[in-house]
Formats: sequence, C-alpha cells, structure tokens
Amino acid sequence: MSDDIDHTTPEDEGRLIAAEYVLGVLSNEERRAVETRLALEPALAREVAYWEERLGGIASYIKPVTPPTRTWQRIEAALREPPPSAPRPATLWQSLAFWRAFGIGSSALAAACLAALIVIAIMPPPEQPQPRMPLLATLSGAKTKQPNFVVTIGADGRSLSIVPAALLTADKRSMELWLIPQGGQPHSLGLIAPGQPVRLNVPPELIAHVGAGATLAVSLEPPGGSPTGKPTGEVIAHGDLTRL
Amino acid sequence: MDADAARSQLAAALVRVGTGDRGALRLVYQDSSAKLFGVLIRILKDRSEAEDVLQDVYVTVWRKAALFNPEKASPITWLVAVARNRAIDRLRSGTVARRTAPIEEAAEVSDSAPGALDMVVKAEQQARLGTCLGELEEKTSQAIRSAFMDGVTYEQLAERMGVPLGTMKSWIRRGLLKLRACLEA
Repeated sequence: MSDDIDHTTPEDEGRLIAAEYVLGVLSNEERRAVETRLALEPALAREVAYWEERLGGIASYIKPVTPPTRTWQRIEAALREPPPSAPRPATLWQSLAFWRAFGIGSSALAAACLAALIVIAIMPPPEQPQPRMPLLATLSGAKTKQPNFVVTIGADGRSLSIVPAALLTADKRSMELWLIPQGGQPHSLGLIAPGQPVRLNVPPELIAHVGAGATLAVSLEPPGGSPTGKPTGEVIAHGDLTRL
Repeated sequence: MDADAARSQLAAALVRVGTGDRGALRLVYQDSSAKLFGVLIRILKDRSEAEDVLQDVYVTVWRKAALFNPEKASPITWLVAVARNRAIDRLRSGTVARRTAPIEEAAEVSDSAPGALDMVVKAEQQARLGTCLGELEEKTSQAIRSAFMDGVTYEQLAERMGVPLGTMKSWIRRGLLKLRACLEA
C-alpha cells in the first residue's frame, strides 16, 4: 500500500521519533529505547522538549476537573515521609568500628570522579520522565574520611557503577557491596573488584530501597562473598546516597 | 489576573519549588491540579487511578522542579509532560483495565476548542498550533489530537479509526512533519 511508504530523510526520522515519543503512540519498549537514546543525544532531547512545548497546547482542549481535597493531603503526607531535611536514623553501620583506612592519592580521586562523571553523562537526562534522579555516593574509610569508592546509580535505580578511588592492597578476601535502607538491614548488591570500575544490576526487589539517605558499605568477606547473606567481615568504607 | 500574569506566577512558583519551597508547591498545585487531573482522567479513563497518578505527579514535581527552565518551557506544558508520561507509563505497564473511548469523543472535545483557550501556553503559540492542526487533513488532525489526549498507541488508534496500522503510522508521521513545517513557518 502506498500509504505505508514514508519518504523521510534521516533528519525527519530523528524528529519523528521525538514527536512520536511525546505524542505517546509508542510501546513501552520503544519508549524506554527513546529514553536511553535521549541520554546520549542532546539533539534528540531538544527535539523532545520542542514537541512537549508545542504539542502541549493540545492539553488546553481538555476540560479541567477539580481533584478531591484528599489528594493534596496525600501529597503532603507523601512528602513528609521521609522529611527531606530530617537527620537520618542511626544505623548499625554508624556504630561499627572500622578497622582500617586507606590512603588516597589526589590523582586517583580525580580519576574516579572523572569516571563517575562519565557514568553520569550516559544516564538519562533530567528532562526525561524518570521518576528519580541519578544518585551518587562517596564511600569513605572510617578513620581517614578519605574517599575509597565513588558509586553512581542510574535514575531508574536499576544500574549501579562503583569506581575505586584508591589503590587497595592485594587482600585475598572478596569485597562485597551492601545496600542499607534507612533504618533497615543490609542487602548484598554483589562482589566488586578492587582495581577496576564494576557495573552491577540492582536486584529488582531492592530497587524500591535505592534512594537518597540509604547507605552503601563495602565489607571484606571470604572469597566468593559472605556465606550468610549478611556482612561478616570488616567494613572498609561506607557512605550515604545523595541525589544529584 | 490575565493569562500572562497567571503563567508568570506559576513559573515563578515552580522555580521556588525547585529550591525546596513547600509553600510554593501548594501554589503550583492550586493553579495546575485541575488541569492535570483532567488530563489524567482523559488518558486513564478512571477517576481513582487518575487520583493515584496525580499524587505521584506532584511528588515527582517536588523532586524534579529544579530542572524546570522557565526560559525554555511553559510551566503548564512542563507539568502536563510530567503528568502524561506518568499516565502513559501506567497505561503501557498494563496495570490499568483500559476502557476504550470512541474516537468521536476526541473530535467532540476539540470542537469546543476556540472557546477553551486557557493559560496552557502563550496565546499566540496556542493559536499557531490550532491553525497548523487545522491545515492538516481532518482525519490526520483528529488522529494526532486523539493520540495526545488519550495516550493511545498506533495500534489502538488504527483499530479505533478502522484503518491498517501502516496507514495510521503514515498519517501521523506525515502529519507531524507537516505540523512542524507549519509551526516553524
């Protein structure tokens, strides 16, 4: 059918996918694919912003409907929990004696920060309909307060990168990364490598716990990781997640 | 207060929300929640579902308002984009038992358009959109409005309008290119 043939240029195609995304005609998979591309292609992000602004006018054809009073009350309640500026409840980890601190060269820290920034750069940009912003944590040793690891977590809470900032000694034990939700128990996020950046997928059941105020910690465990599912060895670094 | 003043006030409030001003969020809610609730009901076809998503939307706005740039976007189109994205993702995730609305409904709503201009976007921008949509073939214009207002996929649109999927894609894609050319003319 001749209607099926589109005579479009590559430039048109780029604009069309942005328009189709904003219009809302794409499937879930296609939407996620566009959101991933948006992170890498500022031109596409500008196109999406353009169409949001222009097609947004169609919303003026829709009759406003006053929501019930309880909706605002629920929003207020949702914002109170947790209060953004309230101090975080003390966790088990804050009271642990940390056995060791690592020295760190400024160039190693700079390299780690650069690596973290690169990771951030490929994450979805803020204009996208991501429910959350990327998260960042600097994990430091208890004694020196020097950063040992820089962790970034994608806006969707699913993908985590950990970059060692310090050259750690060749310890035979495995390093395990833990997520400790506010006031909660540690959950393993997996083993990490001392000398190189590692990308981990956050287990689906933990995504809900990934948020500002949660704590990340690295412990030394027997080769292969903690045999109990909870940290058994020394904690060598910890830090809180903050939103960018 | 005229539309320009209302829009400026909403933009200023949204910027303040970005700095963590909770009182400003209340102002933003007062000025925009009825519009967004209308948009959500239209997409989700379910009041209680729309209420849930509306709550999500303002919690998201609280967190994301710092990203709003008043020089690049109208406050209400920015808010509408947040709301539509949440609603469409909810629809596509299949958790909403979708009720189908006849295509005529879109036409009926849009027929009232000339009197329904509100502070969504600047008047001249809105007028231009209306003109450019009007220059498209009626079926194309209707398909684009319906897609935007109802948040439906190509497949659902094709089914509603009784045309093959390829035809619907072609209508909309050509229509969008023409629309852009007209908006920039």
